[in-house]
Amino acid sequence: MAYQFHRISVLVVEDNQPMLEITKSLLVTFGVGHVIGAQNGEVGFKRFCEYNNDIIIADWMMKPMDGISFTRQVRNDPKSPNPYVPIILMTGFSEKRRVLQARDAGVTEFLVKPFNAKDLYKRLVQVIERPRQFVRAPDFFGPDRRRKKIKGQYDGPYRRESDLHSAEILKVLQEQQKEAHDTLKRIREKQGLGKGDKFNIESDRT
Amino acid sequence: MTNDDRYIEKTPAHFNQERKRKAEYIKPPNTLKAKVGSGGLSEQILQKAQALLENNSVDFQPLAEMYLSSLMRGIEIATDPNTESDTESLISGMLYPSMQLKANGGMFHYPLVTNIADRLVQFLEVIEEPDIDAVEIVLAFHTTIRAVIIGKITGTGGRHGDELMGALNEACTRYFERYPENKTKTPQEYGVEF
Repeated sequence: MAYQFHRISVLVVEDNQPMLEITKSLLVTFGVGHVIGAQNGEVGFKRFCEYNNDIIIADWMMKPMDGISFTRQVRNDPKSPNPYVPIILMTGFSEKRRVLQARDAGVTEFLVKPFNAKDLYKRLVQVIERPRQFVRAPDFFGPDRRRKKIKGQYDGPYRRESDLHSAEILKVLQEQQKEAHDTLKRIREKQGLGKGDKFNIESDRT
Repeated sequence: MTNDDRYIEKTPAHFNQERKRKAEYIKPPNTLKAKVGSGGLSEQILQKAQALLENNSVDFQPLAEMYLSSLMRGIEIATDPNTESDTESLISGMLYPSMQLKANGGMFHYPLVTNIADRLVQFLEVIEEPDIDAVEIVLAFHTTIRAVIIGKITGTGGRHGDELMGALNEACTRYFERYPENKTKTPQEYGVEF
């Protein structure tokens, strides 16, 4: 028994025509029954409202509406036919900051370009086999962002990009930073070191 | 103004904010799984899809030229002494086309373009200011990628590709040795799991 991909429809939102065609061809080869293309987020949202696709694959950098704004619209617009639809974001970015930005917009999976057929397939399997519960909070609606188990208990306040807008949290962060600077200063003074010298941080604990 | 008004004026707004993180958890019905069933796809189908990807006949040159022109525009704006753009926009003007080169090169038989552009993206992600020497480095990357495209160097470029990468890496290292203050203090992590 294999996946019955012919029963689903996938929306691919990508402004780069050759890339759009290749992604569509891969999905057709996988056996996806209905593959719809759109040139940008704005058209993508219209298509999604029309077809209510089962999965969305979107590029990040597009004009006039990029993949992040598109994701937010799918998740939050009252016209959205399914705010829970899995969204796979394709991008050349792989730096952690960018991944977290996409996660905070409500993206379900992240696919780094260039990718191969197996990479795309793995993301599809992930959204089928490991669907994520959704979270509705005052400043976020989207898939639960807590996938990785954090070692030990984390009591710190800084977890989300939106946290930086909170004056209270900014104050705590500044205090933490000041404390770290004081610790470094103390170690340097104790060991008679200059600003650029290497030192052993453990020496402060003895 | 009463004492109460003065107190409210002095009190930072966050003391009066509603408690955050009052989150509601929703488990949507897994209609997708119900539709596709189980069993995955056969290795044969995956190989067929991979072959389709590897044998695509897309001409990357016009696409690459478009991104290279966009990168050159970003370079020109960054070096314009009369520019009114802020630092973030100046860096983004060079970063976004570089990211597109990185993303698309490998998809269309130019993995060397992906490798070079990836190094350029890493460089642009960590600089604080697009100073003249930093932009010179970006220009060197631009020239190299252009040479790879014009020379139709598909694949990784072999020993020559390694030498090009080595030279560009060295240029970046030398730059940060000279201007350590222009490197962001935020640690960079790549390829992290979502």
